[in-house]
Amino acid sequence: MKFEMLFPEVANLFGDPFNVRYLARSVPECEVIKTGLNETPRFMTGDVDLIYMGPMPEYAQELAIDRLKPCKDRINELIDKGTVFLITGNALEIFGKAIENEDGTRIECLGLFDTVAKRKMMKRYNGLFLGSFEDMKITGFKTQFAHSFGKNGEGLFKVIRGDGLCPGAEFEGFKRNNFFATYLIGPLLILNPEFAGYILKLLGTDSKPAFNDVAMEAYRERLGEFERPNIEYYS
Amino acid sequence: MGKLRFYFALWAAKLSIVALRVTKRNGTNFPGKLAVKLCPDFLKYIGKPGFIIAITGTNGKTTTSNMVCDILESRGERIIHNRMGSNILSGVCTSLIRASGFTGKCRYGKGVFEVDERSSLLVYPSLQPDYIVCTNLVRDSCRRNAHPHYIFDIINRGIPKKTKLILNADDMISSRLGKDNEKVYYSIDRLPGDKERPFNIINDMAVCPECHSHLEYDYVRYNHIGRVCCPACGHTSPRADFLVTEVDGAGKGLTVNENGDVYTYPLISDSVFHVYDQLAAIALLRTMGLTNDELADAMKPMKIVGSRYREDVVGGIKVISHMAKGQNAPACSTVFDSVRNAAGEKEVVLAIEDLHDNIETSENISFIYDVDFEFLGDDSIKRVVVVGKRAKDMYLRMLLADIPEDRLFICSDDDKIADYLTYTKGRDIYLLYELYQIPLYKKLWGHIIRRLKETGGEQ
Repeated sequence: MKFEMLFPEVANLFGDPFNVRYLARSVPECEVIKTGLNETPRFMTGDVDLIYMGPMPEYAQELAIDRLKPCKDRINELIDKGTVFLITGNALEIFGKAIENEDGTRIECLGLFDTVAKRKMMKRYNGLFLGSFEDMKITGFKTQFAHSFGKNGEGLFKVIRGDGLCPGAEFEGFKRNNFFATYLIGPLLILNPEFAGYILKLLGTDSKPAFNDVAMEAYRERLGEFERPNIEYYS
Repeated sequence: MGKLRFYFALWAAKLSIVALRVTKRNGTNFPGKLAVKLCPDFLKYIGKPGFIIAITGTNGKTTTSNMVCDILESRGERIIHNRMGSNILSGVCTSLIRASGFTGKCRYGKGVFEVDERSSLLVYPSLQPDYIVCTNLVRDSCRRNAHPHYIFDIINRGIPKKTKLILNADDMISSRLGKDNEKVYYSIDRLPGDKERPFNIINDMAVCPECHSHLEYDYVRYNHIGRVCCPACGHTSPRADFLVTEVDGAGKGLTVNENGDVYTYPLISDSVFHVYDQLAAIALLRTMGLTNDELADAMKPMKIVGSRYREDVVGGIKVISHMAKGQNAPACSTVFDSVRNAAGEKEVVLAIEDLHDNIETSENISFIYDVDFEFLGDDSIKRVVVVGKRAKDMYLRMLLADIPEDRLFICSDDDKIADYLTYTKGRDIYLLYELYQIPLYKKLWGHIIRRLKETGGEQ
């Protein structure tokens, strides 16, 4: 099995690369390909089973957009083909139409989804998120400068509490086939071992997530807190 | 109108100080908060000392500020500082209100202010410091600080043109502050424990800030702190004006090469974090004109405050407490690294979760995946006991760090912590705790010391 991490030298905030480390730990044999900013992504020349990109500083978003623009058609092709993509944190914004700054400047993104991210650099948004995906409850943290607005493909996680892609949105994140993009950090797969199990199934393995029992205990405890009526969701 | 508003705010704030005193309330920050609420430009108008030093950075700003204050005060200087209050705008204003009369004129000639990085834009344009020391910019709480490049941008936008900067040449992020400002750099030369390549999970300076090529490190101390060079464009760490050439832990000496002249100062602590703090203070105060002898004399009696580091030996067992600053991955990793590198066998108690978050909300624990828990897997660490509400998350994190399960323990009752340790001669006990967990730390420390006293040490 081959997992490709895009630009891990910059797209590595909030411990999120552990999403891939967790998956890699869960399958018997796996190659993790770390594609740097100055390298051609492996998915351009061959097939990989999962493509991951995580949250990054704002300057790095522009570098990532620059590097991925020539890959846009291939990404579209891979999405249609059912390749698994996991995109977390503000890496999600790169796949939308644009990122808008407060001063009115605009960064054109890949345009694979119909969203526009609006940054507020002096107003960091932090919060908890509780949502659902199929019959699973999803927990996660949000820590970001932007929200994404506009129509998107299919929503990813249905909002139960907290904010979705933007305040008032019905869904957090977006998906198309096996392309999953979400603002949620945590890391998402470790916080949600059931969802990690779902991804592993998509990857064609029956393996359970690593340390599943311990992960499930931690998950249940967190879920209990997130469901508490008086818990503070925004901070 | 602005000035009238200022006087109204000043007098209201001064009255609030009297009211707080009469009612015996502890509102160290309140007068400044009130003043800024009544007059948003308050800091612009309030009288300031003729000479101002601001100290900022992710780690070490409190220790460095305390050292600078202590040294100046030991020389008989009357200085105004915010060491008892907060380091945000309202804290700085509170100090200035206390230091001024009813006309708002400052009664002190010199001020030393610790300034929160995020408050830079609110503080510096009005405070107009003569010097700003930035100790380092590394990853901190994602909720407040996002990432160090964001904090760099905030500080950089706030620095006045006239301010002289004292910067850490070993930090490729903060050393780039104030492109056009006058600068003095300090650095610690390669130390025995330094590595050839980045070895932490996080490295926020992996690519060249000029050309985005991969950087090559001459050596790395922790995270992105070290000497670095870009093989593509030649961009490199700045040359240091103050270079530590030897840290002599045994002889308790710190040798500094100051543009060719070599001096030895008393070493306050051999922790690399504290060596940087001491060096920042030396670079600042030497640049301000203190002599080497004056500095060395003032540093002789200094100690790092006990709430952050403490050692005790009871019945032949050494117990060490060290603040690990939760939500701050580099600080935690550095403490973990120092524990694994310390001589002998150890047992570790971890209390690094955020107390406040766990009362009001559910703590964002993503930082534990930035922390090098792998360091605690060293064979010299015979057990790790984790306490607190997030114990299961940390336990899972340590399993993912390949720490053998039989060395990991969850203590769900703080009062029983003493039962989880073995008290073996030659095996030190480390209690690593979070900044806001001081009551818990005291409780755990108390239980462990009491057990050792009751049993006479080894069991």
